[in-house]
Amino acid sequence: MAMGSLGVWVPLLPVVSALVILAFLRNTRVFAARVSVSTLALTLALALMLLVRYLVTGADAVVDSGGVFGSLWLDPLSLVLWTFVSGISLIVHIYSVRYMAEEPGYARFFALLDLMTGVILVMVSAANLLTLLVAWFLVGVVLYFLLGHDHRRPAAGRYAFWTQITYRFGDLPLWFAALVLFHCYHSDSLPVIFARIQKAPHLQFWGMPVPELAGFLLALAAFARSAQFPLHIWLPYTMDGPTPVSALMHAGIVNAGGFLFNRFAPLFEHAGWALHWAFGVGLMTALIGSGLMLMQNDIKRSLGYSTMGQMGFMVMECGLGAFPLAVFHLIAHGFFKASLFLGAGDVIGDARAHDGVPPDPVYTSVVERRPARPSRLPWLVAASLTVLVPVVVLSLSHFFVAEHLFYEQGVVVLLFFGWVTGAQALFAAHKMSQQDPWRLMLGILASFVVVVIGYTLISHYFGRLLYPDEHESLMLYHAASIHRLSFDALVMLLAAVFVGGWALTFFAESLDLGRKFGGRGRGLYLGIYALLSRELYVADIYEWLGQVVVHWSRRLNVWLRWC
Amino acid sequence: MDLALWALAALFTPLFPLSWLFNRLVASLPAGAIQGFAVLVLPQLGIEILHRAPQGPLCSAAFRPWVMALATASALLYAVRALSARELGVWTRLVLCSGLATVWLAWAVGAPVQVLQLMALGWGLPAAVALYLTGVFVRRVGGAYVGLHGGLVAVMPRMTASLVFAVLALTVTPVFPAFFMLWKGLGSIPVAWLPFWLPLIFLWGWAAGRLFQDLLFGDYRGEPMTDIGGMSVALIGFVFLASLIVSVIGSGGASWR
Repeated sequence: MAMGSLGVWVPLLPVVSALVILAFLRNTRVFAARVSVSTLALTLALALMLLVRYLVTGADAVVDSGGVFGSLWLDPLSLVLWTFVSGISLIVHIYSVRYMAEEPGYARFFALLDLMTGVILVMVSAANLLTLLVAWFLVGVVLYFLLGHDHRRPAAGRYAFWTQITYRFGDLPLWFAALVLFHCYHSDSLPVIFARIQKAPHLQFWGMPVPELAGFLLALAAFARSAQFPLHIWLPYTMDGPTPVSALMHAGIVNAGGFLFNRFAPLFEHAGWALHWAFGVGLMTALIGSGLMLMQNDIKRSLGYSTMGQMGFMVMECGLGAFPLAVFHLIAHGFFKASLFLGAGDVIGDARAHDGVPPDPVYTSVVERRPARPSRLPWLVAASLTVLVPVVVLSLSHFFVAEHLFYEQGVVVLLFFGWVTGAQALFAAHKMSQQDPWRLMLGILASFVVVVIGYTLISHYFGRLLYPDEHESLMLYHAASIHRLSFDALVMLLAAVFVGGWALTFFAESLDLGRKFGGRGRGLYLGIYALLSRELYVADIYEWLGQVVVHWSRRLNVWLRWC
Repeated sequence: MDLALWALAALFTPLFPLSWLFNRLVASLPAGAIQGFAVLVLPQLGIEILHRAPQGPLCSAAFRPWVMALATASALLYAVRALSARELGVWTRLVLCSGLATVWLAWAVGAPVQVLQLMALGWGLPAAVALYLTGVFVRRVGGAYVGLHGGLVAVMPRMTASLVFAVLALTVTPVFPAFFMLWKGLGSIPVAWLPFWLPLIFLWGWAAGRLFQDLLFGDYRGEPMTDIGGMSVALIGFVFLASLIVSVIGSGGASWR
């Protein structure tokens, strides 16, 4: 059977399953779940088969529906994401069989899960603008009903509404971009549009190159879907939905931004400013998301902000031109976050059983016979290992795997981030109290080396799979580059800031600076804490704006007597 | 076309300020099937007048951009007004008036009359269903103010599901006809108009979200109620099926030009 004919069944199977459950199996809970899980297993098998087939033959295909809607593009990006989405969805389905057993609307829940899976599968393989728009739009609609599954809880409805309204806002730039591309390149077929962009990348519209304008709009649409600051407010609050939905959302749906960047990669090759913007927004989101994550005392909310930070990092990777790395990141993060969400219940159960209060040093010393004072490496040794090891390991592994990319600015920035995160990990290991600190540090170093080399190799070969044309990858890195001198200055400045920060941390501990300056900085500290604990007042501002519009709407209605 | 005919067309296929009279007219009819029938027939009547009336200065190319501007303003005004409506009938009429303004946009860019009729049907069908269900609601509870009871889905699941479909279809959700009509329409107008039209999608979604908050969530606090019967559900299902067929025709073949 041809790849196209088989491919159509991948998104179709879950949709058919949803319709069958809604039409015939609403009152047969067990059977509905069985149908749903079996269909998903079949979908995953089919998606895997198509991916393997592509790996063997190397040929992609466009399945033309014959109309303006419904065409599918079976390229490496679609096939990889089909496998990923159906895999995550299958895990969530299996988990839901028991997790949702006590909930009302059991069959409806499975139908909605199937529908959501089908819609996402259409979205990631859409071959024309209208199909993409339809699927993109429907994801928001189906997600609304999944998040609001428990209609007895007004909070679930409120936060489902936040999600729906943010998604609708994000739909507008996608509509605009699609219509601009349609007007300028006279086609709604994505492969045709991309071919025409390569021929006429400098086509002007409203005094701007079309790819640049469309790039800005697409980036904005991606920001809303991937919870980028300040369009992030919906994400941490979606925890009020059922846990399997949180898992599916954080592992799959929220990654739509990274997918959109990759789908329109040929356009972003000519949209450098849009990429710089994406880098800035992604960086800010990563910082704010990670910062807010550290402040939460609710595990699911903390995971929500962690996703926000990760999404920021993923968008930042796109802004650097490392498009395949963003896909690799979204898949890795998807599996990682799904497992965390699905295991959150157990963690909460454990926390109820054990209070989690840190052990008393006297108790550990006398009863457990462990040293009361932590034994650590000499700080100079620890500092040298912390700062030097990551940079050497990262640089060498990248140099040997992909030397030609080693000098690209995007890669340098990513290595820089790798260095900072690696150093932080080693620093955290140094701070842990252990009887044998050398053993701990060597263990962490060995793990670090294995992870970095593995990650570098996998991401490199993954990049080759998604972008077989090396020229395309280089074009993306070039589009994301800035002036060499500014770049070098920026890297040096940031390096100085990080090294300075680490030095300050080391000295603050040894010289007890916290006690000396604590009183003076207290007000500032409390101010920042208040600002962050109210999540920078972004939700309050949106709520106020919403109330103003509704107030004026009501006044208009009163003037016009509700007619 | 003389002014009187043009005004009649703008009354039946509502365009501000004559849409105010259209709204008043529909509201004055008994709630339920009659109102639903009216919103199906009146816009078609307006389109027929537009089509059959002799061409005149009000149909000239110079005048059409003004019609587009008025249609845009009308659509935005009614979409904003729908945000604060919590009475089901009022909400439906306001969103319908907002959506039907796109018929004038299509007329201004010279779309054939069949497309105008299809567009009016695309918005009229779900509005007719919603108004019919409003009538059911009024008969059983005495009013259709959804904020009063909350959590209606618990006591009337069939009616709520039908309403949800109607509201989604009215607020340009794919795969209902209004979505495809809007896509075709926005693909045919000059791009400079898009920044004024795209916020409509957001406003309609916002209005639908606010309505759902009251309709779906929370504990029901009213008297016990009986749900609509299987025949009504089958009829509504048939209407939506017809609607999807209109979608397929609209997305596959119909064009504004």
